[in-house]
Amino acid sequence: MSIQEYYRPQSIDEATGLLAEQAQGSLIIAGGTLAMPLINDGVSMPNQVLGLKAAGLDYIKEQDGFLVIGATTTLSQMAGQEKIPMLAEAALGVGSWAIRNMATVGGNFFAPPPGGDFAAALLALDSKLILQGKQGQRSVPITDFFTGFMTNVLNHEEIIKEIQVPIPAGTTAFSKFGRRHSNTPSVVAIAVNFEFDAEVITKARIALNGVGPYPFRAEKAEEFLIGKSLEKQSIEEAGEIAATECSPFTDPIASEWYRRKMVPVILGRTLDKIRK
Amino acid sequence: MSVRIVNFTLNDKNIDVMVQPLTTLQSLLREDLKYTATKTGCKQGACGSCTVLVDGEPMLSCLLPVEDVAGKEILTLEGLTENGDLHPIQETFFETFAMQCGYCTPGMIMVSKALLDHIPEPNRDEIVEALTGNYCRCTGYEPIIRAVEESARRLNIAASTE
Repeated sequence: MSIQEYYRPQSIDEATGLLAEQAQGSLIIAGGTLAMPLINDGVSMPNQVLGLKAAGLDYIKEQDGFLVIGATTTLSQMAGQEKIPMLAEAALGVGSWAIRNMATVGGNFFAPPPGGDFAAALLALDSKLILQGKQGQRSVPITDFFTGFMTNVLNHEEIIKEIQVPIPAGTTAFSKFGRRHSNTPSVVAIAVNFEFDAEVITKARIALNGVGPYPFRAEKAEEFLIGKSLEKQSIEEAGEIAATECSPFTDPIASEWYRRKMVPVILGRTLDKIRK
Repeated sequence: MSVRIVNFTLNDKNIDVMVQPLTTLQSLLREDLKYTATKTGCKQGACGSCTVLVDGEPMLSCLLPVEDVAGKEILTLEGLTENGDLHPIQETFFETFAMQCGYCTPGMIMVSKALLDHIPEPNRDEIVEALTGNYCRCTGYEPIIRAVEESARRLNIAASTE
């Protein structure tokens, strides 16, 4: 065992202070559901680990039209909130009961795909991440957070402090399609957030996960739908466009071909849920 | 290496333990305290055989650093028996033969206990959903689901006659 120290800072300032002091850095964990399996297997052998569970970041509060979610809020806590039902549904789609009791909202941003469905739901809601370092904090829209497979804009002194979610004015829906009913990695997960003027779509957000290196928005499909209404043909065409926007991968869950094929199908089912 | 003393409650008993950094609760329970009802399956958080209750909520002891349970109440299968008598859920699993090799049984029973504490009369879907993180490779799950239904019935009868 090479782990020399497990730091458990009692506040975010203590956490960022520790990170700023450390030349070689620490592996940051919260619920442990992503990092501990790697440590148990010896795949990851960090010298120092910094745990955020005691840093006071498990909160959900309503503030000026936003739902503000502390980074170490568990997915079980999210499943229990009623302010944004789509987030409760997305949280329930992750892992098993025991996993949801441990796994955190912030940690979900570091889940390799097809993990990260909850982050996709937050993406559809135009959420912002508050990143904090010793020098202060900055706000980053989720659209700008991911830079590639398992890479992001965080620098080594920063941690995710909280997520600010605008409370949606329109209609939202979430679908997760996996190989089993629950506790299953996604073939594809889709979160949508739409606003209408009568029948006409005025705002469209379509966030996908499991079909790219990180959760992303199908912006061309969104754009296509603006000014249209949700009907069979427009939904089908949007699905075909979304399928061209993804870059799926093959893994033991599903092939690249199957993942892409399921995008229009699952998008159709998701949009059917909000069809007036 | 900084060894730490951690205080928590294990099966109603307040204890202090000394641990190396990031020791998992699973290895503390099994290797140091010899509480071997909590099983070691995958060590990946996938199989559920190491499930314990932390403040009444199921968690996976293979992913849980001991330092993180400081001040909390841990319940393992050993804590279910009272004066050597099996808990009604254990009794039901035993009588209805809801096991074959038995390896998943402690995890199954701990999750069932948490479920029945939260929802005394769960329907079949709620039972299946609760147990979805616990793998059983012997029974095909059906006997286990029936055992949880039967456990709920027995516990509710016991509660109503109290």
